[in-house]
Amino acid sequence: MLVRELTKKYDGKTVVDSVSFQIPKRSVISLIGPNGAGKSTVMGMISRLIARDSGLVAFEGSDIRKWKSRDLSKRLAILTQSNHTQVKLTVRELVAFGRFPYSGGRLTPEDEQMIDRAIAYMELEPFQDRFIDELSGGQRQRAYIAMVIAQDTEYVLLDEPTNNLDIYHSSNMMKIVRRLCDELGKTVILVLHEINYAAFYSDYICAFSEGRVAKFGTVKEVMTRETLSAIYGVDFEIMEISGKPLSIYY
Amino acid sequence: MNHAAYRTNSRKLLILALFVLLTAAAYLFAEAHWGNERLFRYAMRLRIPKLAAMLITAFAIGGASIVFQSIIQNTIVTPCLLGMNSLYMLIHTAVVFAVGSSSLFAVNANAAFAVDLILMGVTATVVYSYFFRKTRHNVLYVLLIGTVLSSLFSSIQTAMVRVMDPNEYDALLSALTASFSNINSEIMGLSVVVMAVVVLVLRRELKLLDVMTLGKNQAINLGVDYDRCIRRLLLGVTLFIAVATAMVGPISFLGLVIANLSRQLLKTFRHGQLIAGSVLFGMMILVGGQLLVERVYSYTVPVSVFIMVGGGIYFLYLLLSRKGA
Repeated sequence: MLVRELTKKYDGKTVVDSVSFQIPKRSVISLIGPNGAGKSTVMGMISRLIARDSGLVAFEGSDIRKWKSRDLSKRLAILTQSNHTQVKLTVRELVAFGRFPYSGGRLTPEDEQMIDRAIAYMELEPFQDRFIDELSGGQRQRAYIAMVIAQDTEYVLLDEPTNNLDIYHSSNMMKIVRRLCDELGKTVILVLHEINYAAFYSDYICAFSEGRVAKFGTVKEVMTRETLSAIYGVDFEIMEISGKPLSIYY
Repeated sequence: MNHAAYRTNSRKLLILALFVLLTAAAYLFAEAHWGNERLFRYAMRLRIPKLAAMLITAFAIGGASIVFQSIIQNTIVTPCLLGMNSLYMLIHTAVVFAVGSSSLFAVNANAAFAVDLILMGVTATVVYSYFFRKTRHNVLYVLLIGTVLSSLFSSIQTAMVRVMDPNEYDALLSALTASFSNINSEIMGLSVVVMAVVVLVLRRELKLLDVMTLGKNQAINLGVDYDRCIRRLLLGVTLFIAVATAMVGPISFLGLVIANLSRQLLKTFRHGQLIAGSVLFGMMILVGGQLLVERVYSYTVPVSVFIMVGGGIYFLYLLLSRKGA
């Protein structure tokens, strides 16, 4: 996936300003940056949820606008922050929606298998017939991830997956992200607020500042005192813990 | 997936359909002068069109309400609450006002209806999709704007009626006062055709409704062309509401009551079943209500009054029972 000079304006104010980067396959890429730096907007534009003003998002060599939405949904899945629905839906029914791009409303035995696998992968078997509005935040998030797994896409985009989760569920979520990449061979792109989660669990970090890419590189390249201080305007200390650069700030 | 729940719901719908059949039979044959063939025929001639109109109305309002609620992702809003039927009345009055009562559009009910439908489809789609976009589907704003629109439309309509030539008003009157005791049966044939065409044209979008209730982002993620789908479904909803309003006049709260009864009874996301439930509830309430009005109250109270009173209370209950929604 290639992003070139992506730009978005809201009411004349430029929120994303000619952003360019390339996503390496089979890796975890975190987009970080302060509030309003444009990371979620970029995520929206590369997943076709938000229309871009100018620039290019190329997926497998061709512009995502030229892709049929249905075809794209078999290759790329996006999960946004707030997921709530008015309808009564069980976990299994939600996960089954992941198969929609393949089979429309009618599930084939193959689809059922994929759904079983996704539920098992997220260890949701005990809850599969519960309604999602009866689940805790962490379980609900896992149910939505299971749906994305059932969607069986090469690329998975997650917008702040740890938002509103406590420390236990957040680090569990990040371990799941790592497994999606390592075990299932997916390319995972996520927007994160927690720099240390990004540092510990990703392969690459793309740091945003004021609508531009401040730095894109491997974790070690981005997690430096100078870069982070410049982006966030706060003093940072970088420490190496189990071979990963982690930051301390206060 | 969850086949048990699906089967239970199918059974519930079947029972509901049986009730509808019973009510319809009771409506047709109660005190129908079985002994006297001529009187019996006369009763049938009065009752069959009425029954047909009620079934068609229930279908239109039941279907439109569920679809509309899923489009704007809220279950306490219906097209009528947002003034769609006032808009239809306004359009109908405006047409007669503009072209005069002697023109084809005022004399021929079907021609007038066709013009109304086209105008209604265009205006309502533009107005409502603009407000949904502007308010970002925020329910409180939508509801507030809808209420304001509703009275705005009826005020304009009343103003037009006041300055109208009495002869033209006379031509309008039968359409404006349509009710279950005074059914606008001339346009029934055209109504059925319009509804059939709408369902046929929108069959693909209707299948997407299940996915659309997951929200805009999820729907797009799963490959749905969301905006186009919403536009087309909204057009269908406005046409259905136009049909119902033209035939039996405005019935506020009916859509709200039947759509929510169906959601409460079936507790599912499958729109096929939800729509069927809503339509069946609508048929039962309308036919049952009319039966009560004709046989018990001997026409002193119109059925829409019962629906308004019951529906108003039910609406309050829905609002208060879901805190923070």
